[in-house]
Amino acid sequence: MGADLIQSLLRRPAGLVSAILLLLLYGAALFAPFLAPTVPSAQDLQRTYHPPTALVWQDGRLCVRLYRLVDPSTATYQPIAGQATPLRWFSEGPAYRLFGLIPAKTHLFTVEAPAVVYLLGSDATGRDVFTRLLYGAGISLGIGLVGVFLTSLLGLTIGGLAGYLGGWADSLAMRLTEFLMAVPGLYLLLALRAALSSRFPSDATFLLIVVILSALGWAGTARVVRGLVLSLRERPFILAANILGQRPTVILFRHLLPNTFSYLVVAATLSVPGYILGEAALSFLGLGIQEPSSSWGLMLGQAQDIKIFMLNFWWLLTPGAAIILTVIAFNLLGDALRDAVDPRFRLPGR
Amino acid sequence: MRTRHFHLLGLGCLIFTACTKPPAVSREDHPLPDGIDTARVEPGRRGGVFIQSVPGEPSTFNPLVSEDATSGGFIGLFLDSLTRYNAVTQEVEPGLATRWDIGADNKTFTFHLRSGVRWSDGNPFSADDVLFTFQAIYDSRYPNRSAFDLSVDGKPFRVEKVDELTVRITTPEIFAPFLEYVGGVGILPKHRLGPAFQDGTLQKAWNVSVAQHQPDTLVGTGAFRLRSYQPAERIVFEANPHYWRADSAGVRLPYVDFLVTKLVKDINASTLAFATGQTDAEGLSPDNVAWIERFAKRYEFLVHNRGPSPNSGFVWFNQNPGQDASGKPFVQPHKLTWFTDRRFRQAISHGIDREGIVKGVLFGRGQPLWGPETPANKKWYNPNVTQYPYNPARARALLAEAGFRLGEDGKLRDAKGNLVEFTLNSNQENQLRVNMATVFKENMRDLGITVNLAFLDFGTFVGKIQDSFDYEAGLLGLTGGGDPAGGMSVFSSQGRLHQWYPNQKTPATPWEARIDELMSLQLRTLDYATRRKYFDEVQKIMSDETPYIYLVTANAYVGLKDRWKNIKIPPLGSLVWNLDELWTVFTP
Repeated sequence: MGADLIQSLLRRPAGLVSAILLLLLYGAALFAPFLAPTVPSAQDLQRTYHPPTALVWQDGRLCVRLYRLVDPSTATYQPIAGQATPLRWFSEGPAYRLFGLIPAKTHLFTVEAPAVVYLLGSDATGRDVFTRLLYGAGISLGIGLVGVFLTSLLGLTIGGLAGYLGGWADSLAMRLTEFLMAVPGLYLLLALRAALSSRFPSDATFLLIVVILSALGWAGTARVVRGLVLSLRERPFILAANILGQRPTVILFRHLLPNTFSYLVVAATLSVPGYILGEAALSFLGLGIQEPSSSWGLMLGQAQDIKIFMLNFWWLLTPGAAIILTVIAFNLLGDALRDAVDPRFRLPGR
Repeated sequence: MRTRHFHLLGLGCLIFTACTKPPAVSREDHPLPDGIDTARVEPGRRGGVFIQSVPGEPSTFNPLVSEDATSGGFIGLFLDSLTRYNAVTQEVEPGLATRWDIGADNKTFTFHLRSGVRWSDGNPFSADDVLFTFQAIYDSRYPNRSAFDLSVDGKPFRVEKVDELTVRITTPEIFAPFLEYVGGVGILPKHRLGPAFQDGTLQKAWNVSVAQHQPDTLVGTGAFRLRSYQPAERIVFEANPHYWRADSAGVRLPYVDFLVTKLVKDINASTLAFATGQTDAEGLSPDNVAWIERFAKRYEFLVHNRGPSPNSGFVWFNQNPGQDASGKPFVQPHKLTWFTDRRFRQAISHGIDREGIVKGVLFGRGQPLWGPETPANKKWYNPNVTQYPYNPARARALLAEAGFRLGEDGKLRDAKGNLVEFTLNSNQENQLRVNMATVFKENMRDLGITVNLAFLDFGTFVGKIQDSFDYEAGLLGLTGGGDPAGGMSVFSSQGRLHQWYPNQKTPATPWEARIDELMSLQLRTLDYATRRKYFDEVQKIMSDETPYIYLVTANAYVGLKDRWKNIKIPPLGSLVWNLDELWTVFTP
């Protein structure tokens, strides 16, 4: 089934493009410390709100233009004509741990101090927006994956058991999901955040947000899985398994649940954006990831000041573009997956 | 032209601004009282509407209930006091009292009231109203903030009527800020509020619902009287035709016909309203000045630099040695040892790049701060306090002196080998503060100190500071300015806002004892020079001991439309404190 799936996915250009884009994004998030020229906490108070540094080809090398602060009161910078410093590839920079384990110092590119390279400008305390975007991707995209994993696990187990066992277990599970679905999501999210925040140290906020989002998100999955299991239960192959005398757990885990996987894959892909947006919304409201960590939502939240718009610091809005791209990519990929997985929805002619 | 810009910016333009001529306003004409106060300003012309915007909403119009600055601001427009505070000179000037005598004991003040003054509904004003006001403030049925301010050690002032136009107030002890504090008491109309006082409903009087439905019952002696109030929309005040001030040409003040206050959602909306020409005046934060000035020509306004603001930002360490109910100390003992060590605090202070914060975060519009008062408080600011310029080498030397060691790994450890690490709390609503906290974290890392940041919402944070005390370090701001007496709760070791260790039974350190002594000394004399000497020493001790590590003070900016004359911009307080003297050549 796996190979077929990938093959039919590759035949859909939209699905292919978004799959590649997502792979790139996740790859970037994974290798963020290496790809970024510096660390996300590095400040430079002499270069706040610096515009993106232009790249030029000079003396046969890729160089970064040098800038001069013209007016500190408006944070206006001007490139110094003709002056540039070459990018140093695979050079040493601030120390970091790759994947949180391997200590390393090599960065893809840096420039010689005191020059700086700001591919996407700098923020209010002179931190590199490109670096923060990469590190933030780890959190923003990671929340999507971990959240979906937890939700699917919860949804599959509870929905599967409810559908297979029926009776009081079914009623209990379904009333619980109805309750969860009846509560307005955002308010519950805010309430849970307020209730749990004092129990978590500030660096565990990441985990807290995933747990909150998953605790709210599994209800829908559970209901659909239950429905699928209910209909599968009456199919001849399950009846056959029953007659053969297989144990209920074997029937559930070997025969019933694997048949809901195709649905789950599609549903999970389509619900990842929900988590990314959920994290962004929480962080935007100041309830999610906190300084000095970075996430796309937090960065976007900090860009909601009017002066950002009035002084045209557009590069501070790039986290918004990243969120939009990711969400669209996941939706397109989900659509393509659904077409590939479920022949009944396939349009004629394909 | 003007309206077109509004549409371009996609903002709902409101009444009053457009090009159409407003209908002529006729004012009631009453004879001037014989005790008229003649304003020493360039005589102007009557007419015009002054428009401002305020984020939020007044919670009441009753001074006995009011707690917040927004309500207080509106109340100050229609209620006047015995004295008037000149925001520019920081001196007390005659108000409803033309002059006052101070008794030989420095405790008896005899106020001679202005004759012929009338309330905005035409009833005469007299000593009975003053008596009534103090009676209401001290009445235990109506707990209010003024009752606390206007008493010495819990004992109220004695207020007596000498004759129809003379009032004598006696303080139980010598009370230094007396005139300034009395100047803040809006005199209430007995003929209006007397019945409510009698039947115990005074606290319900003049609430927002009354203001909305019967605005004419809010009677005062101030320059304006309430005309209408629409919640979440606007508050309109009109000129009080019985006001007690006139110009040298005999024209009764105020010059403006109406004062319109738009009620907007937040400070961003308020700033934007001014930047797009919809309002006449606005206080501006330093990071917004640059782009707002681009609109100055188009909307004919000017941004004035008021110099340093009275707001101070600071970091402090929790030095509270107490324990919670379960016997767990608020601060871990080894950390408490660091926090109570003066050298540790001074080292931290030397390690902070204040110039960098000013330059980077405040766009160069501010200055480093070393003591509890900012230069905005011209009357009390002590420039000769100890300064801690950015000097990591000096910071490291101080830390070494205090027994701290920098390890091979670049991390600082104390004499017992504990890693130096603490959590800094602040509130998350204030982005400027969040930026300062991240700069602080980076600065401390250069010293080998690990700072964890935790941003809480303001209420939770205040709870930690004032009730549960379970935190290590904090970053907040206070608005200073005004009389040192206003800082009692901060400087005095028993004070509630003595944040590093509040509500002490006896002073924990000799220097805190000395500050206590100085603060009570300055309160017990009326002589400015003596008080100044005491308060200078308080500021010096605060900077030496650095219980608060002061960071920076931002400059305050105010934008004002060009068309207004007689503008006098004070370093402190409300920008249009002399609203009654403003006039304009053009009607809107």
